[in-house]
Amino acid sequence: MFFRAYGYGLKRCAREKYLMFWNILFPIILGTLFKVSFGDMNEREFMFQQIPVAYVEEEQSQQEFETLLTELEEENQLVKVQKVSGEEAKKLLREEEVKGIFWNGSSITLTVTEEGMDTSILKSIQEQYEKTVGAFSEIAAEHPENLQMVAGNIAKQWNYLKENSITNRNMDMMSDYFYALIAMNCLYGCFSGVNCAVAFKANLSALGARRVVASTNRFVILLADICAKITAQFFCTVFGAMYLKYALKVNLGDETVRILLMILIGSAIGVMTGVFVGSIGKIKESVREGLCIGVTMIECFLAGLMASGMYQLVETYAPVINRINPASLIVKAMYSLNIYDTYTRYNQCMLGLLAITVILCIGSYLMVRRERYASI
Amino acid sequence: MAEKVVEIENLVKRYKELVALDHLNLTVEKGEIFGLLGPNGSGKTTAISCILALLNFDKGSVKVFGEEIQPDSYRIKQQIGVVLQNVAVFEDLTVQENIDYFCGLYIKDKTERKKCVEEAITFAGLEDFRKFLPKKLSGGLLRRLNIACGIAHKPKLIILDEPTVAVDPQSRNRILEGIQKLNREGATIIYTSHYMEEVEQICSRIAILDKGRCVASGTKEELKAMIKTGEKIHMEVMELTPEQLEEIQSLQHVYQLTYDKGMLEIRCSGGKHNLVRILDYFQQKEISFGRVYTELPTLNDVFLEITGKELRDLAEG
Repeated sequence: MFFRAYGYGLKRCAREKYLMFWNILFPIILGTLFKVSFGDMNEREFMFQQIPVAYVEEEQSQQEFETLLTELEEENQLVKVQKVSGEEAKKLLREEEVKGIFWNGSSITLTVTEEGMDTSILKSIQEQYEKTVGAFSEIAAEHPENLQMVAGNIAKQWNYLKENSITNRNMDMMSDYFYALIAMNCLYGCFSGVNCAVAFKANLSALGARRVVASTNRFVILLADICAKITAQFFCTVFGAMYLKYALKVNLGDETVRILLMILIGSAIGVMTGVFVGSIGKIKESVREGLCIGVTMIECFLAGLMASGMYQLVETYAPVINRINPASLIVKAMYSLNIYDTYTRYNQCMLGLLAITVILCIGSYLMVRRERYASI
Repeated sequence: MAEKVVEIENLVKRYKELVALDHLNLTVEKGEIFGLLGPNGSGKTTAISCILALLNFDKGSVKVFGEEIQPDSYRIKQQIGVVLQNVAVFEDLTVQENIDYFCGLYIKDKTERKKCVEEAITFAGLEDFRKFLPKKLSGGLLRRLNIACGIAHKPKLIILDEPTVAVDPQSRNRILEGIQKLNREGATIIYTSHYMEEVEQICSRIAILDKGRCVASGTKEELKAMIKTGEKIHMEVMELTPEQLEEIQSLQHVYQLTYDKGMLEIRCSGGKHNLVRILDYFQQKEISFGRVYTELPTLNDVFLEITGKELRDLAEG
């Protein structure tokens, strides 16, 4: 009985044009637009290139800053420094030969003509230097005995950053958008879930009443429906991911099995979210669908679908949201697979996703378990 | 004594302040077509929902095949076929797939199910539409599909809740004939409707519901015998004086008459030769008249006399 109902469930999913649009076409269109908008941004802007910068030494110059720039040029290959006079520096900046001018005097100043990634990096070098110098001066004046310890800590910080930035994996700055897109694709299963719940409850639809009065256990019918919806959602999302990987050449990494597992659980969360929303009280199906769209879009927004860096922002100010937001967990799981050598973070995300699935299942069960209705 | 298929005793169902079923008592016996007749809101669908264990109720008991029915009474449900008032089919499955799906909720064996599905398709006259999606079907065909989905597994008890609402006369006749055929093949039928002609045409026993109460039940002959009206005579008469009306009213067996816009309606309480007696009076008084016809009492008359209101008006209102 289960497999027959499951088979018919799959058939119904395959014929639901509305759902096919949202689950296959829409993510493909969005993915293509992402690629068209910033697809080669990585090659153009995020491929590591030394930032040309002019350096002008003035009176009372700070030797430490010059040393820092030399270090950043030779060791880190972050900047390419041209030591010139003030006039020459201005000329170079006008002719866009350099991105900025460092003026090394009693204080360090930076002159730039435009905003951008390169100027932001130069600005952060200047700020970081000033902060460090300020901290050292303050500690030297007030607690000279702690100076060595602070120096050691800063050195540790440098070491830590260095260790984390070097792995065997590739990091693609724009991948976050595509990861969030995959998350959205999974979570769009909520529409199927709403239909599933409405077609199950006797007080919400004639189909629900008709199936409940049959001689098959109603939970077998529901389970078959849910499994069919999850399967359909899984294949839709996999199709979307394959399109990203093979047609748009988005780097999704090589962890195929783990990505598939994640998509499966993501799809289950999407469908179960819909079942949960669909099981709430007696409200119109369109209102339920609206609720699902709202929830999904907020989840995806917080995971960085619409704005890069949103995930990090949430992590800074409200990290708990990232732990309970399925879209964020999917993005983090994908990110972890492609950045880290170990699976610890991926596994943590998967556990989080599984926990959310279980909670949604229990919540939905509690709402649909009622056997007789007060009114239909 | 005939086997009782459904027994409802003292059933009370309230929707907050509204009493939907008010101490309802009903018994449906094996092999009959039992009609539940009543206007919209009289409690027919609520009663059906209680029989199917869909609704909880405040008081009373519902037994089907001798057992109290519960939501998990799958053994009893196996023997029940249900055709709900609202069409309950999947929009994305074809006619044949829909019937197979619902039949499969009762019959596991593939070969047996295939046979049942074919028979249901033939029964409903859907042979030419088996690959059609429901949205491509007319209202009548859709209703027939709804019925086919409900009866494909050959149940012993078939509950049809207003299956002919918004159906064209051709499909309606086909549905009614089909129901009678199912009954001849051994199924017990519970048929709810507010169309008294349908109920009168096919039901062997009828219960009239009003405000959640069973106001009368029995065969149609028994129901008609319960009321005073034995015959209604309609006459087209151009002009009648109040004195003449009084004289007609005083004729034997005449108990009520109405005269409006040249139409005279005379209600007689049983008896024979009422029409002859009335025509004699008109001849004696040399009153000219036009069209004359007589009617036997309908279920609407039964409802009117028992409740004081017209069933037809309530149903359509």
